[in-house]
Amino acid sequence: MFLQTLVTGLSIGGIYSLMAVGYSLIFSILSFSNFAHGAVIMLGAYIGLALATQLHLGLGLVVAGSVVGAGILSVCNERVAYAALRRRRAPSLFLMISAMGCSVFLENMVYATIGSRFYTFPEFFKRQVVHVAGSSLSLLDLFAFAVSIGAIFALHIFITRTKTGIAIRAGVGDMTMCSLMGVNTDRLISIVFFLAGAFAGVAGVFLGIKYLVYPTMGWVTNKAYIAAVIGGLGSLPGALIGGLILGVVETLVSTYLSSVMRDVFSFTMLITLLICLPNGLMGLETEEKV
Amino acid sequence: MTAPREMYLEIRNLHVYYGNIHALHGVNVDVGKGEIVCVVGVNGAGKSTLMWAIAGVLPIAQGAVLLNGARLPAAPHEIVNLGISLVPERRRLFSALSVRENLIMGAMRRKDKEGIESDMERCFSLYPVLKERLSQRAGTLSGGEQQMLAISRALMSRPMALLLDEPSLGLAPLVVESLFATILKIRDEGVTILLVEQNALQALEISDRGYVLQTGEIATSAPSAELIENPLIRKAYLGEDA
Repeated sequence: MFLQTLVTGLSIGGIYSLMAVGYSLIFSILSFSNFAHGAVIMLGAYIGLALATQLHLGLGLVVAGSVVGAGILSVCNERVAYAALRRRRAPSLFLMISAMGCSVFLENMVYATIGSRFYTFPEFFKRQVVHVAGSSLSLLDLFAFAVSIGAIFALHIFITRTKTGIAIRAGVGDMTMCSLMGVNTDRLISIVFFLAGAFAGVAGVFLGIKYLVYPTMGWVTNKAYIAAVIGGLGSLPGALIGGLILGVVETLVSTYLSSVMRDVFSFTMLITLLICLPNGLMGLETEEKV
Repeated sequence: MTAPREMYLEIRNLHVYYGNIHALHGVNVDVGKGEIVCVVGVNGAGKSTLMWAIAGVLPIAQGAVLLNGARLPAAPHEIVNLGISLVPERRRLFSALSVRENLIMGAMRRKDKEGIESDMERCFSLYPVLKERLSQRAGTLSGGEQQMLAISRALMSRPMALLLDEPSLGLAPLVVESLFATILKIRDEGVTILLVEQNALQALEISDRGYVLQTGEIATSAPSAELIENPLIRKAYLGEDA
């Protein structure tokens, strides 16, 4: 029972991490919380749904299609809603308000066009289970967990080993200097938004498979946002660890205490942590020597 | 004043606003190929504004910066691609990145892997201490080492011209001396240098020509040797009684 709960928690935590990574990436480079991220996740789920139900593609292609689609939508989101503000050096609060507007707009677009119906994905795993040490673990949970970890690990390699990754980290510290190194910062920001969108696409498909697809499903990103803050906004390992902790704690609470207590617990954890460690578990320290 | 043999960088009637402040009023500066030209002036004279405007970070309200007679593009990354590299005041290193990653950032516009490696070696021969600190985070270096890294980072783009903004700021006199010696070395390797300094005497000693910037305007300009002898300059900038 415990092992089963743990695996469920880790799989939910993995999905939280995928979403938290998107928040963290964008926060670290533009210093604002992109509240349109939930809408991109929702659209990613719809893209995946369309590929699965209309084109009858397999899970791999569904995820791939959603990654590309949500990535492109995320880049468009930045170009339309943030780029102009950014160039005028608007305070990050304005970007956040623009993001909220985008989120409301996109959700209502879906209501107006696709409708408010709840959709389900075709069953990719047919409730398959793996038996380990007396517990039956859902194959979907294991798969979701493995893909989440794998994707975040791949991102970590990209960020630390490639030239573009180094440029992203440099841009996090000082975007102006980054442009003085010959980096086209508009393009760099688009790459970051594409990455965030790609992760949103994976998260959207898994959320849709695990639960349902509907216009306000993106609100679950509240949880991912908590995960990102717990881990330390702007930190990739932080997003991963924050997501996993939140997922496991939530599942343990709803299994052993009560599912009503779940959100009370998550938010209490967030507030306590912010009081004790305002920068989160792995928050970035800034240092400059003059 | 004698014109340089071959004009390289021409700053023509430059007007720049810094926020609401009209920081530069029609500044003219010529930099010839292979020269070290220095701009001296007190705090707030507009020296850094001039550098940021040439590098494309601050928008030019009026006037132009010409490179080999052609107007510079507006975006900073396009200006770097033409071979003009800025080492800004206070270094502005990527402090969370390692020394090596800072150098890689400097070479961002280049694709020639071997050239990049050999240029890194060139930086180490100029500043051997950087080689020992390669995997250390740039933010943990001493002030002098940070300045060496900042210059090396700019050199990694293989610039034709280097813009140095207050390289001596906050450094011990001995460190400044060796730093200025390397600036001469860099020039001897064929890099044109525009140097902005509050530390007027040392800047004039290593430069070919000098400009005095006063509240956003060029007050006077002359070969550096003449400026050093000028009693008014000595009084105003070198702290001597006339």
